[in-house]
Amino acid sequence: MAKVSDIVLWDKPGERVLLLGNQAIARGALEANIAVYAAYPGTPSSELTDTMAIVSKKAGVYMEYSTNEKVAFETALAAAWSGLRAMTAMKHVGLNVAADTFMSAVGMGVEGGFVIMVADDPSMWSSQNEQDTRVYAKFANVPVLEPTSPHEAKEMTKYAFELSEKFKHFVILRTTTRTSHARGDVVLGELPEEIKERKRKFGKFNKDPSRFVDVPANAIKFHPAILEKIEKIREELNNCPFNWIEGKEDAKIGIITPGLNYAYVKEALAWLGIEDVKILKLGTPFPVPYGLLEKFFEGLERVLIVEELEPVVEEQVKTWGFDKKLNIEIKGKELVPRIYEMTTRRAVTAIAKFLGLETPINFEELDKKYEKVKPLLPPRPPSLCPACPHRNSFYAIKKATRAKAIYPSDIGCYTLGLLPPLKTVDTTVAMGASIGIGHGLSIAQNGSLSEEQQGPEKQVVVATIGDSTFYHTGLPALANAIYNRSNVLIVVLDNLVTAMTGDQPNPSTGQTPHGMGKRIPIEDVAKAMGADFVAVVDPYDIKTTYETVKKALEVEGVSVIVSRQVCALHRIGQMRRRGEKWPIYYVNEDKCTGCRICINAYGCPAIYWDEEKKQARVEPTMCWGCGGCAQVCPFGAFEPMKEGEQ
Amino acid sequence: MKEYNIVITGVGGQGVLTAANILGWAALHAGYKVRLGEVHGMSQRFGSVISYVRFGEDVYGSMVPEGKANVMLSFEPVEALRYVNYLKEGGMVVVNTKPIVPVQVSMGMAKYPSLEEIRKVFEEEFKAKWIGFNAEELAEQAGHVVTTNTVLIGALTQIPEFPLDAEHVREVIKISVPPKAVDMNMKAFDLGIKATKEILGL
Repeated sequence: MAKVSDIVLWDKPGERVLLLGNQAIARGALEANIAVYAAYPGTPSSELTDTMAIVSKKAGVYMEYSTNEKVAFETALAAAWSGLRAMTAMKHVGLNVAADTFMSAVGMGVEGGFVIMVADDPSMWSSQNEQDTRVYAKFANVPVLEPTSPHEAKEMTKYAFELSEKFKHFVILRTTTRTSHARGDVVLGELPEEIKERKRKFGKFNKDPSRFVDVPANAIKFHPAILEKIEKIREELNNCPFNWIEGKEDAKIGIITPGLNYAYVKEALAWLGIEDVKILKLGTPFPVPYGLLEKFFEGLERVLIVEELEPVVEEQVKTWGFDKKLNIEIKGKELVPRIYEMTTRRAVTAIAKFLGLETPINFEELDKKYEKVKPLLPPRPPSLCPACPHRNSFYAIKKATRAKAIYPSDIGCYTLGLLPPLKTVDTTVAMGASIGIGHGLSIAQNGSLSEEQQGPEKQVVVATIGDSTFYHTGLPALANAIYNRSNVLIVVLDNLVTAMTGDQPNPSTGQTPHGMGKRIPIEDVAKAMGADFVAVVDPYDIKTTYETVKKALEVEGVSVIVSRQVCALHRIGQMRRRGEKWPIYYVNEDKCTGCRICINAYGCPAIYWDEEKKQARVEPTMCWGCGGCAQVCPFGAFEPMKEGEQ
Repeated sequence: MKEYNIVITGVGGQGVLTAANILGWAALHAGYKVRLGEVHGMSQRFGSVISYVRFGEDVYGSMVPEGKANVMLSFEPVEALRYVNYLKEGGMVVVNTKPIVPVQVSMGMAKYPSLEEIRKVFEEEFKAKWIGFNAEELAEQAGHVVTTNTVLIGALTQIPEFPLDAEHVREVIKISVPPKAVDMNMKAFDLGIKATKEILGL
């Protein structure tokens, strides 16, 4: 099992390797001779960016972790305008952040190939909503390629660059969690000489204000040009190698299925033992190529469209069929759920129903059996790690506000502060929204300091936001709150890394994949913007954190506390690699009174309840040694083990 | 072989993903088509996790459907129970019996079932074969608790009709772990093999 970074750079055409979908896309970008890559991490897209970070130097590719999706999009777009092959990646909600540039710039087109990788998250494994990027693509008239396997994801990436260059148009490579986070066998292709020689490619921007300046006089020409382009691309996609018809040629039953759904359909058909069917496998759910539809529908009497989430293909096929006056039954969302992710079970159930067959397993009976198991299962939601500095910050905030504040929070690990016992997250909407919502909440309940009238009772608002999120979209919101003079305390939970998506660097650490960039301390930003109170604390010192929150709450206006301590998961990972040890705490049985404060108020996952002795205990394999428990316990029952006791 | 399905369950941080990856590479080296399915991001933070390993001549999707897993490898008893519906009738479960108690249980908001209750569901309701032992204890014997997943993978290779060769899997582990941890992991692997053989009376 070689290192992924090596595999992605292997000059071994024909070699069969096991790669994560996202890693396969990185390899595809290298095989396509990419020059510039810029992205902000977001699950399930992050590993593509992380892989590019690791291999870029050795491949002569410029790569950056941008501060948000919009600026990442602009970085890559400008490179594509300069004639280079460029790529950006984001999760579905990231496209919302980039949407302003995306929707406006699409009319300007590109010179070098420009590929936007967007990873959707059906069923919301790690997301705040379920949104289908194909709808966005249709809205913007940008073609979408959707792979069915990691190998196809790699191949499609190359094709996406070619398609983009041919039509000088944006191309979206859309994955879902189950393609981005599936591993599969991938056959390596050729790497271009420039990549092998790690030659950095530079572009040239040719000025053309009539194209690149989006004033109404220019923009008015863009929309008809886009529509013309997309119809030409629809034509081209009849010959796309990722679209094909397979199965029985004279079948009466047809199935149309885009992207990963094809895998589930194939599995479902094999499971049902059905061969008398024709399949249209679509690698391009938008625009659906009509020529291929024409060929596919020949001789068919009934068609089922199996697609995940929105009826994007279904609407195109039905509209086309209506215009053609086709007298063929077309079913889709009547049988295939519109919410949550596709599974083989869903595909098999839909196909069986469509054909009037029984499913191969009696799922209802299986569900009934499982219903009896459910009452036995304790919940196990994700939680803040042992030694997580956020736990201490939340604990101190809650104590200092006597749980009486409103706590808007943000997107990151710390959203888990929502769960008991901490319960210090009242709102989470989108990246950077905690500050905007916090400001709005204060304005609504208290009014602005620059207004003549104030609210009858001061409502304390404490917003929490992570370091990466602060730089992502927190900055404009902070400027807005300071400028408009609301009364809000903003605690920036600075763990010096973008933790939830896999430890990417950000301006708070200043590191970049190329070495040191320039560090931007959050407190300096807050001071420069004119915050009314600024302080830096170490949340491992709970008492000082608590006292600083208290102090900040006495200040009128916008206060910013930077609660800085490195991510525990990150720290422990590094210590493990270096073979270092950390203190492990235990409960002194003579001192523990069984008051449960450590469990019911602090909630470290390494602390559990000993039912027999009615005391707290520490699971030594889970203790990461922050000593927070020792500070929280009123009886001094938590003590570090002595060397040799571990 | 058309397809072989393994589900691996446990708690985020226990090494579930690593175990799946090792089995995936072993299957790839054995010449099979391979698909692994996993969840990243927030779910990894001490939450419940499930990974899928599928290989054979005819595999497409990365998720094992309910009722189709030949075997379950579980790092934690309750997390085995949570996904029991993935096992096919007559399937097999290899489980580390050392519980990780969720905070919600310590807070008194939920109850943790007994090992006997869990085993009963597998054996009586789902007609599965149960191979349970404390893998963490064996890992400590091998040198460190981090080798728990190696113990469990070793155990898995001994179950009847498991299609991957144990020595083959061992080779993948050897090149996957840091060089100085190879001996410890080989010991862990053997302890897992031994434990399963004893339980199965081989």
